[in-house]
Amino acid sequence: MKQIIIDVLDSGEIKIETRGFKGKSCIEESQFLKDLLGEEKARNLVPAYYQTKNKVVIRKHLPLCG
Amino acid sequence: MSHISRIELEIMDLQSLKDACKKLGFHFMEGQTRYQWYGKWVGNQPLPDGISEEDLGKCTHAIHVPAAVFEIGVVRKGNGYILLWDSWIGGGLQKHIGEDAGILKQAYAVESVKRESRKKGYRITEKRMKKGIRLSLSL
Repeated sequence: MKQIIIDVLDSGEIKIETRGFKGKSCIEESQFLKDLLGEEKARNLVPAYYQTKNKVVIRKHLPLCG
Repeated sequence: MSHISRIELEIMDLQSLKDACKKLGFHFMEGQTRYQWYGKWVGNQPLPDGISEEDLGKCTHAIHVPAAVFEIGVVRKGNGYILLWDSWIGGGLQKHIGEDAGILKQAYAVESVKRESRKKGYRITEKRMKKGIRLSLSL
């Protein structure tokens, strides 16, 4: 199930977490909350972010050092 | 889970602030251009960005907290609003609005999210947690 969880702490601090989304849709779906509430100070992407609907995107890195 | 964001709250929606005041039992004083405070800046805390000593006590709207002597100034700044208030203990505000007005900001954020999420057709559940309020939105 796709969910957006908003934790509003007693201090006024806000944390938004998206669950069940794949790929960039999580960013798009939750953007209205960021526009509504203020400035995004930090963002952590989790593995599901790098998944498309049907396949996992493999990120390859070139060995730049050594 | 896909991503986690941390947001620094900005007050943009006056209606949600009015709803938050109502929920907390405060009175939103539309168009009141001065708020009650100590009346003299003693310099024990830094002034908010863009606010000078001369700006203190002046506001666009005000919030009256029935159990407190002092009031909160709602000041138009850019596209949104900032809150100005005197945290001196004798003014009685901090007990009701929390440190750094956290309780008022929390109520504002909750009302604001509920209002906008309803418009977008989300189902909303609200739950009191140990350190705050959790809103869960699902389609």
